[in-house]
Amino acid sequence: MRSPALHCCARLLLAAIFFLPVCARAISITEVRKSLVRITTTAQEPNYRVPWSPGRVSGGTGAGFIIEGNRILTNAHVVSNARFLSVERENDPKHYIAKVQHIGHDCDLAVLTVEDASFFQGTVALSFTNQLPPIESSVAVYGYPIGGNRLSVTTGVVSRIGFQQYAHSGADSHLAIQTNAAINPGNSGGPVLQDGKVIGVAFQGFNGEVAQNVGYMIPVSVVHRFLQDIADGHYDRYMDLSLSTFPLSNPAQRKALGLPDDGTGVLVGSVTSGGACDGVLKVGDVILAIENHPVQSDGFVELDGERVEMTEIVERKFKGENATLRILRDKKPLEVTVCFGEAWPFQIQSRQYEATPRYILFGGLLFQPISRDFLQASPVDSLRVRFLYNFFLTDEFYKERPDLIVLSGVLPDPVNTYVSGLRGQLVDEINGVKIQTLRQMAGILAQPAQQYVIKMLGEGRPIVMERAAVEAARERIKARYNVRNEQNLSEQLP
Amino acid sequence: MKLRLATLLLSVLVGSILAAPAETKPASAALNALKPSSVVRVNATSQPYDFLRPWSKHSPAQRRAVGAVLPGSRVLTTAEQVANATYLELEKPDSGEKTPASIEVVDYECNLALLKPSQPEFLKPFQPLQLIEPNLGDGLAIWQLENNGTVLPTRALLTTVETGSYPFSNGFLLYRLSSSLQPRDSGFTSPVVKNGALAGMLLRFDSRSQTADVIPAPVIRHFLKAADSKAGYTGFPQAGISTSSLRDPQLRRYAGLTNGTGGIYITRVHPGGPAEKAGVAVGDVLASIAGQAVDQDGNYVHPRYGKISIAHLLSCEQFHGDTIPLTLLRQGKEIPCKITLRHDDPTQWIIPPFVIDTAPRYYILGGLVFQELSRQFLKEWGAEWMLKAPERFLYYDRYQDELFQNDPRQRIVILSNILPSPCTVGYEELSYLVIPSINGVALHSLADIESALANPVDGFHRIQVQGHPGEIIIDATQAAALEPALLRNYDIPALKRL
Repeated sequence: MRSPALHCCARLLLAAIFFLPVCARAISITEVRKSLVRITTTAQEPNYRVPWSPGRVSGGTGAGFIIEGNRILTNAHVVSNARFLSVERENDPKHYIAKVQHIGHDCDLAVLTVEDASFFQGTVALSFTNQLPPIESSVAVYGYPIGGNRLSVTTGVVSRIGFQQYAHSGADSHLAIQTNAAINPGNSGGPVLQDGKVIGVAFQGFNGEVAQNVGYMIPVSVVHRFLQDIADGHYDRYMDLSLSTFPLSNPAQRKALGLPDDGTGVLVGSVTSGGACDGVLKVGDVILAIENHPVQSDGFVELDGERVEMTEIVERKFKGENATLRILRDKKPLEVTVCFGEAWPFQIQSRQYEATPRYILFGGLLFQPISRDFLQASPVDSLRVRFLYNFFLTDEFYKERPDLIVLSGVLPDPVNTYVSGLRGQLVDEINGVKIQTLRQMAGILAQPAQQYVIKMLGEGRPIVMERAAVEAARERIKARYNVRNEQNLSEQLP
Repeated sequence: MKLRLATLLLSVLVGSILAAPAETKPASAALNALKPSSVVRVNATSQPYDFLRPWSKHSPAQRRAVGAVLPGSRVLTTAEQVANATYLELEKPDSGEKTPASIEVVDYECNLALLKPSQPEFLKPFQPLQLIEPNLGDGLAIWQLENNGTVLPTRALLTTVETGSYPFSNGFLLYRLSSSLQPRDSGFTSPVVKNGALAGMLLRFDSRSQTADVIPAPVIRHFLKAADSKAGYTGFPQAGISTSSLRDPQLRRYAGLTNGTGGIYITRVHPGGPAEKAGVAVGDVLASIAGQAVDQDGNYVHPRYGKISIAHLLSCEQFHGDTIPLTLLRQGKEIPCKITLRHDDPTQWIIPPFVIDTAPRYYILGGLVFQELSRQFLKEWGAEWMLKAPERFLYYDRYQDELFQNDPRQRIVILSNILPSPCTVGYEELSYLVIPSINGVALHSLADIESALANPVDGFHRIQVQGHPGEIIIDATQAAALEPALLRNYDIPALKRL
């Protein structure tokens, strides 16, 4: 499930991801040792402030465990942006080189392979439970957390099961299991066991200043979905209804909508155009049941004996599948089918990984599309930028402008010396053409013209760049500011 | 013809400047042995409305200031001091004798107010202050009052004259003084004098940089002249344009300029404003105003103050309804035109920048509180309102010119608050929503709400919400029956003020 409007203040609640950035060694202490893996990552984080620079190299360690098919399961955040991965087994001093086979940033899971087949000799693949564990049942967490070098086990009980924001992408929420077993930096990717079977993957918790004994694991339902999604060799991401619902507990509202006072049904409050429900559901429809699970008026359904959010049913769907909804439209019952095609394409509010920052440098003017990563690196003090970013989905700004392109910086040069005051403004038009994407903008700037008149959003002056002046400045700016490439239009790593 | 008008205007201007410093005394005389015969204490009790609970007011606060006694038995103070005043009085500094006062004219944009005492003879013993325009570098004095009633003059040097921000507006002229003022309890304003004549009224003082911003004599002169107008007071006029510097040679060439260095680039022409009516277009270069050349930064040369912004020339040096010539350059071609400047009344904006002395409208339906969006409402979020108030409302306020250009609404009706009641079960978390219509009737302002509620649909009020959740519904009979309980439970004097 995507959070439709993720506001900056949501960060207050943001859980810390527990990936330990230190080096440590460990020995076995339980039977699980035959399955546990210690992962050491060398990662390179892109630099959104200087998008042509390769970025800083950093490292860290996390946990993982062996699953069937000679694979290692771990968290996506343990191996994100990895340039080099090595894995170690318990009781084996050798480092083995590993590779990411599949990675799901929306569910914070990754599968690794090891080229050297001898790595898996004598190991045991852990198996999973099929159900959510009962509340208050005991669990044991395995991993390599802070506080020592060897394998660590902590125990506790299942405290709570519910939807949680997954901090790795910052914009996705899925089911998560909360436990009071200590989960600390370095536990990430380690298995949580109950009666010898995996019930979850430890992945995040709260900083000790915020809360105590609140750790989270990714439940088996999310793990299964990930493994099933990648079975065809490609990860398609989560499917999404792309709508917002409103609980129907107001008696007058229920009566006016033609609903009995039986505590069922949620109102469709908004439908995102271009999403799965566009053209299928309308604002004002009442969802009564999804896949034959009656929807209660607070948006919950009963699933496997647990009361969970309605979206959990959609969470388990794959690309190309359908969901049948029973709805009430204009007081008349109706059955509709929602087809899940592609995953939602506009992800500016999610953190991106394995991506290189997109940009255009033109006459020393740096243009970048606004994204969560960009704003985190270079905060823009503009109400317009803040609003268009925060309401990008709810107000459907993506329809007009899939990329919100900002003049993020100016590399001073005689060609742009009078333009520096316009930093932070958004590009509206170039030579009369509305700018919708960075690629389109690059195309227009590549077309020969005597001058490029860049109109910014709002009432300010245009930026006028004369072709001859820009050409004359090109090599000078590249040399002076150590710019390797003048543009990067694709997030794909080369 | 045009030329003649410009000359005439200029001569009037020069004339007024020459006329002002008629009675001059040595500067030292202004500072020494002053009698408090030209200033009075102004005591205001101010009680603004609470826009988050529009049926009630904030707690009253005292605001003291030193007012300047002017000819015609009037006292000049700042509008900020008397904003939302519930009680005003004048106090003689030496005797402490007091009399109630009332506002004759107030203009929040130029931040000035003229008061008159309830007894006209109250000001008889005073010697009214004449206006004087100081020069850059002049020594002035800020007149505060000690507790015992004696005048405390503080030396100040006029260092800068430029346009700047006022409490409720922008672009008015300011005197910037350098002074080591020790503020007394006369907080809100004090007269600034030169040679015993009034040069300005203190607007703010920054003790760290030891600079004082002063509402200058030209703004006061304009205000007083408009206040004495037989046709009634009209505020300072505007041209209705936004401009940008034209230093960039690439932008100059784009605007069709091949030589010269002057002129300013017009980035916006306000729809329906004076400039649009005069034929000004975006992309034009404004080269001169009333015969005064405009430079590339939007300044002209004032005979006394040197380079200052044309905002002063268009707004303070002219009056509402005045027609002056402009020279435009459109792709290098000179286009002469005439503009009739008009005051743009901010209380008529779709989201007013301030709501002062006016009770905010509201309507409570079964616990849902409806109001009209205003900047005053947003300012209830405190000093950091620009960061803390609901972001959508902040965005609407800041960019209202571009967002609501062709909007039929006079005001934006919002659901500002919910007082939980049996009617609002399940709606508790909704607030700060824009309400375009109720029962299918568009709300152009809150005045439309009663007619919209007159015709419920099948006994329900269907309240359209912009965005999620689309619509909220209230039982009309239940809402009407709840009125006494709402009044009683929340101790509200009335469920509406329209």
